[in-house]
Amino acid sequence: MKANRAVTPYLFLGPALLVFGFAVVLPVAMTAVYSLTDWNGYGSMTFVGLDNYVKALGDSLFRDSFAHVIAYIAATLVLEVVIGLCLAGLVSARRRGSLWFRVAIFTPVMLPMVVVAILWAFVYNADFGLLNAALEAAGLQNLQKVWLGDPSTALLAISVTSGWVYAGFYMTIFYAAFNQIPSEVVEAARLDGAGEWQIFRRIKVPMIRSAVTVAVLLCVTGGFQGFDLFYVMTNGGPYGATEIPTTYLVKSVFTFGNVGYGSAMAVLLTAVVVVVGLILARFNRQRPEGARS
Amino acid sequence: MSTASARPRAGRLLGLLTTLALIIIAVVFFFPMVWMVLSSFKTNSDIFSAPFALPTSIDFARWGEAWEVGHIGQYALNSVIVTGASVFAILLLGAAAAFAFSRYRFRGRQLFMGLLALGLLLPLQSYFIAQSTMFTDLAITDTRLALIIPYTAMGLPLAVYLLKVYLDSLPDELFEAARIDGAGDLRVFWLLALPLLRPGLATVAIFSALACWNEFLLALLYIQDDSLKTIPTGLLAFSSRYVTDYGLLFSALSIVTLPMIVIYVVFNKQIIEGITAGSMK
Repeated sequence: MKANRAVTPYLFLGPALLVFGFAVVLPVAMTAVYSLTDWNGYGSMTFVGLDNYVKALGDSLFRDSFAHVIAYIAATLVLEVVIGLCLAGLVSARRRGSLWFRVAIFTPVMLPMVVVAILWAFVYNADFGLLNAALEAAGLQNLQKVWLGDPSTALLAISVTSGWVYAGFYMTIFYAAFNQIPSEVVEAARLDGAGEWQIFRRIKVPMIRSAVTVAVLLCVTGGFQGFDLFYVMTNGGPYGATEIPTTYLVKSVFTFGNVGYGSAMAVLLTAVVVVVGLILARFNRQRPEGARS
Repeated sequence: MSTASARPRAGRLLGLLTTLALIIIAVVFFFPMVWMVLSSFKTNSDIFSAPFALPTSIDFARWGEAWEVGHIGQYALNSVIVTGASVFAILLLGAAAAFAFSRYRFRGRQLFMGLLALGLLLPLQSYFIAQSTMFTDLAITDTRLALIIPYTAMGLPLAVYLLKVYLDSLPDELFEAARIDGAGDLRVFWLLALPLLRPGLATVAIFSALACWNEFLLALLYIQDDSLKTIPTGLLAFSSRYVTDYGLLFSALSIVTLPMIVIYVVFNKQIIEGITAGSMK
């Protein structure tokens, strides 16, 4: 009986570990191995040491792709997290029903990113797009642009699309956090004559710092992994202006067959995501107790 | 005018302004979707000449056409199968693993928990290249398994973590009592743990289902056969087949979007709970 019991936990754990090991752990290790080779995916594999990494660090396209994704992350921090925070503040400043509003703002989160991308490519369309039509209706024809075809606006246009989706997502997180603030704290401030903006800025936001950190963590690590919008809306163009590490490495591997080089870039991207993620997660844990999550 | 009445009046004005701001923001957020649905009833020339105008008639014939020629029914069916199978596997395997971590002390427990915790942070890019060569070698690309296996693996870390937290919060006495009554491990898991886990399972099911339903990159890489494509990749294929038939494309987008809005309106409480729990890893 006893010997039997010792096996039991492994029987419960086994299937999950098997699937996770097969589909994640093993390929992570293999990707790391590929990154040390010159390989096109089917022919012979040559071991080249760290050559791919040296090449990646010197590859101006790869470096540019990081610059692009960092600009994109900076934009989405404002368009998603900051706007989400302000929206949550607006909603929670009202004392009664705002469900309809939260529904309207959250709906885009439900949609596949591909659907969002196709829809917004239409919004930005130069011939019949909603944006140019709206500018024309407002008498601002001189601001009309070929939004996704112009290197100076394409990255921002994609960031705005991402903001349209995720501002509602972060609003939801912040709204839930605001609801956990004891109402006496807010009421006390109000009795002391604090205005709504002051209450928001000096009391509510500092009290949900933990939720803000989590949101920043999600936005930054998610930003590095962004792919769907970029692939569908511009696929890196125009003239490489929206090339980010994910689109660049997918092209390297699956279009040009540079499996080794693509793997090295994938490992570098993974390292960045994990390190940034751990730093932000740590930042959250070191927060003094008392500020609530 | 006394200050006592001035303050509430100012408050009411502020409240009115907030409401107004919320209405404007909601309209701006909702407008692209409204435009999409309106445009689905228009001809190409109407879409070009009068983007804001209401359609001359509400004719669902184009929706039917998009459904037929766009194979949207097939894509939706594929999405249902792949999502259903993945979510089922995530719940079953995840609950079993969480049960092992929560109720037993065994060799390798910390190591395995650490391994799964790493999965919370690892980006898709850390494994999808080798995964795709593996799947090609094993000849499972262009089968539904090529999506179900990775979707299950990707969903497990968070599922196990959340379900373990749920199980840890249950009193030990419950499980002791069952064991004293002579219930075996499997019976305890199946008849006691799983029913108690129901709220946790519902949460996990919601965010896992959304993630599987919307996943794009792996579906793009592993499925070339049009009859096996899920909604994201299917719709992309559709949009490149009918690049210039905007009315048809808007119809297809509307068909895919409206059910999600309905689902959200009906289940918004559970969905928001699921999504926020899913993000708070």
